[in-house]
Amino acid sequence: MTRVSLIDLAGAIVVVAVLALTPMLLNSNYLTGVLTVCAIYAIWAASWDFMSGLTGRENFGHSLFIGAGAYTAGFLATVWFANPWYSLPAAVVIAVAFSLIVGFPTLRLRGPYFALAMLTASAIMQRLCLIFWEYSGGEEGLYGLEPLILSPLHYYWFVLAVLVAAVAILTALANSHWGLLLRAIRGDEATCQAAGINVTFYKMASLMISAAFAGLGGALYAHYQLQVSPPLFSVVVSITVIIMVYVGGIGSIYGPAMGAILLTLLTEMLRGFGEYRLWIYTLTLMLILFFLPNGLIAPLWRRLAERLR
Amino acid sequence: MSAILDVQNVSKRFGGLTAVKNVSFSLAPGELTGILGPNGAGKTTLFNLLTGFIPADSGSIRFEGQELRGLAPYKIVNRGVARTFQLTRPFLGMTVLQNVIVACLSPRARDAHDKEARAQQLLDQVGLGAKAGDAVETLPYGDLRRLEIARALATKPNLLLLDEPFAGLGSSEIEPLAQLIRRLHREQNLTILLIEHKLREFMALVSRVIAIDFGEIIAVAAPADIVRDPRVIEAYIGRTEAEHAPA
Amino acid sequence: MLQILIYGAVSSAIYAMLAVGFTLIFGVARILNLAHGAFYALGAYSAYVFTGLLHFPLFIAAPLAVLLVAGFGVLMERFLVRPLRYSQLAVLMITLSVSLAVEQGLFITFGSEYRNVPSFVADKISIGGVDIGGQRLLALFAGVLVLSCLWLFIQRTRLGAAILAVSQDPEAAQYMGIPTNRIFSIVMAISAGTAALAGVLVSPFLTVQPGMGLLPMVKAFAIVIVGGLGSIPGSILAALLLGYSETIVAYLISSSWTELVSLVAVVTTLMIKPSGLLGRRAAF
Repeated sequence: MTRVSLIDLAGAIVVVAVLALTPMLLNSNYLTGVLTVCAIYAIWAASWDFMSGLTGRENFGHSLFIGAGAYTAGFLATVWFANPWYSLPAAVVIAVAFSLIVGFPTLRLRGPYFALAMLTASAIMQRLCLIFWEYSGGEEGLYGLEPLILSPLHYYWFVLAVLVAAVAILTALANSHWGLLLRAIRGDEATCQAAGINVTFYKMASLMISAAFAGLGGALYAHYQLQVSPPLFSVVVSITVIIMVYVGGIGSIYGPAMGAILLTLLTEMLRGFGEYRLWIYTLTLMLILFFLPNGLIAPLWRRLAERLR
Repeated sequence: MSAILDVQNVSKRFGGLTAVKNVSFSLAPGELTGILGPNGAGKTTLFNLLTGFIPADSGSIRFEGQELRGLAPYKIVNRGVARTFQLTRPFLGMTVLQNVIVACLSPRARDAHDKEARAQQLLDQVGLGAKAGDAVETLPYGDLRRLEIARALATKPNLLLLDEPFAGLGSSEIEPLAQLIRRLHREQNLTILLIEHKLREFMALVSRVIAIDFGEIIAVAAPADIVRDPRVIEAYIGRTEAEHAPA
Repeated sequence: MLQILIYGAVSSAIYAMLAVGFTLIFGVARILNLAHGAFYALGAYSAYVFTGLLHFPLFIAAPLAVLLVAGFGVLMERFLVRPLRYSQLAVLMITLSVSLAVEQGLFITFGSEYRNVPSFVADKISIGGVDIGGQRLLALFAGVLVLSCLWLFIQRTRLGAAILAVSQDPEAAQYMGIPTNRIFSIVMAISAGTAALAGVLVSPFLTVQPGMGLLPMVKAFAIVIVGGLGSIPGSILAALLLGYSETIVAYLISSSWTELVSLVAVVTTLMIKPSGLLGRRAAF
């Protein structure tokens, strides 16, 4: 079992401190907003990595859970006028429900087919939002959500806290016997069965945990943007998250989180490139797949940690 | 004493091919039995049927009085039936110890408090104790066999099924492994059923041999007698040229 | 009723063209090509450029479009997919990236408004009292023709036999002197070409916009799962089923519900018979 070393912990504290203090010191609402989105993407990336990075079952439809969480928040706000704080647990519940419904028939499929089936599910969900426009608001979606916390800076700190909690929980799980089992499932499912492990249960459970955090992030995003729309279910969101994970280093949890933050920042800086951004993402993915399949951030950190030892 | 494993009329067809045909046999508790047969006789298929990896078309498989047919493999393991695979597929990217710990996490084995200690103990039992921290990719073939056995033992089986444990081993590796099996049988009073197609290993190890050819049982006898059984001789002389019945 | 029969046939023919290309490259090279939808879109846009902008006649524009996209597919396979063949997931990701890049590229070049492609056959034809656009009939006949030729090609020619050999066992085929890599390229060209042709044929009557490839891609995947991965007859059968189911749903309920048909089909197949109707190899 990998234990989190003191150096890892120190590094994490430094990173969190920098992330927390920078917008306060620079006193920029714009930067706070960007970093809020960074943190939310980090939650999504870490949640993806927990399931897909560990079990090797890459999920090309993560946006299904993201959108589910976001639209839950949207419905609660616009249909039931509920207290916005109820969105968070509700989003988790709905996202987990989705994972149960979709995971059940698809988890027994082999890698690429599972990936495609999840992609199909999210694409269909996106389509459904447009078909049932009377309920979902169609192309424009739902708007008029209320922020959870009025001060952008305080909301950002809240989201950051959720991110830290998410990474901590997921890392703890990944380093525990749970993580060992998930990695074993990636290794060889038949041998796992022969070892007495209920493979389906663990795959399902890890998908549900992944969905829970993704949905939570979705709700946080909804209360940041104050509106939700169908592109949240799109394959672009799914693949963006996957690219972030690959840049960060698949399987490390913290790597994808960092990768998400860096890539989102990069996207903002490249805003001038407008429509070419997706091409840059795509190019990045291709470069990573060809030259750095283990990612950039996690391997770099591990080497740095060795030096500091 | 009632049988620990009672197999009745188990059959399996794959399309037009009957791989296992009406096989019936039983094992008494604590027996060390061998299943002998040339390649393609249906031995591994039988194992897969007994352990739930393939569903049987018909028949009944009762272990400790309870029906196993139709259960998922992991459930059968948790009833107390463990197996090894002919082609060892360890969990890559992990250490030898971690490979065994996985099996210690099964419901049947889970009550042990310190999984790492138990896993280390199991590795010591099979003679891999010193290599616990090594990456599993560095294990030589013979050691992978021992790892398989450690992994199977981790689930606290009452019945152990070994699928061609000696396949691919060099002559110097066979006897130590046979001794390990003998020792486990004696010390833990395990019921063991093993598949082999090399007769020599059987002779010294098992007390009873079930001979199979073309999916059917053709003879059941003590090792000394089985080599004289005409049907067994015909099955071998007609099939393999490598290992055949010593006089 | 006759209307359903004819419109259903048109849908089925188009879906069949898409599905067969998809299942072909999978069956032969084990490549799940997520860029297949992009080939379809590129075919449609090529038709737009050649006929709408450059005013080439159909019989020049169509082959040009098909060749162009086939070439693109071959290049993609050679330089982007082949190096990653060790991992099916890596192949999925790279083809997905290509698909997104193509969609973005089309968006950048042509914008998001729907493009108008003039019909090749402008008249409406009446069959048994049912009016149907000549273009749709053309799509139907071209589809049937292309698929029949493809079937004959695979069953009767030496190259076709080579393709079948590679799909059964690439290594063994190589030992027999079949240039497997070249076969991959050829199959990719056929796959991309049929997708492009489907795009060309539908461009006059379906909306041409940058994201047009995604839903057909999803449906092709659904068809291939229902029909059985790697089985061409399976894909055709499933395409017929899906094409007709969608048409019937469109008439009985509403055209916006048609996407649900593919969803239900995929889910049902995966739960009941995951290897599909005629598939040899299960998806798990």
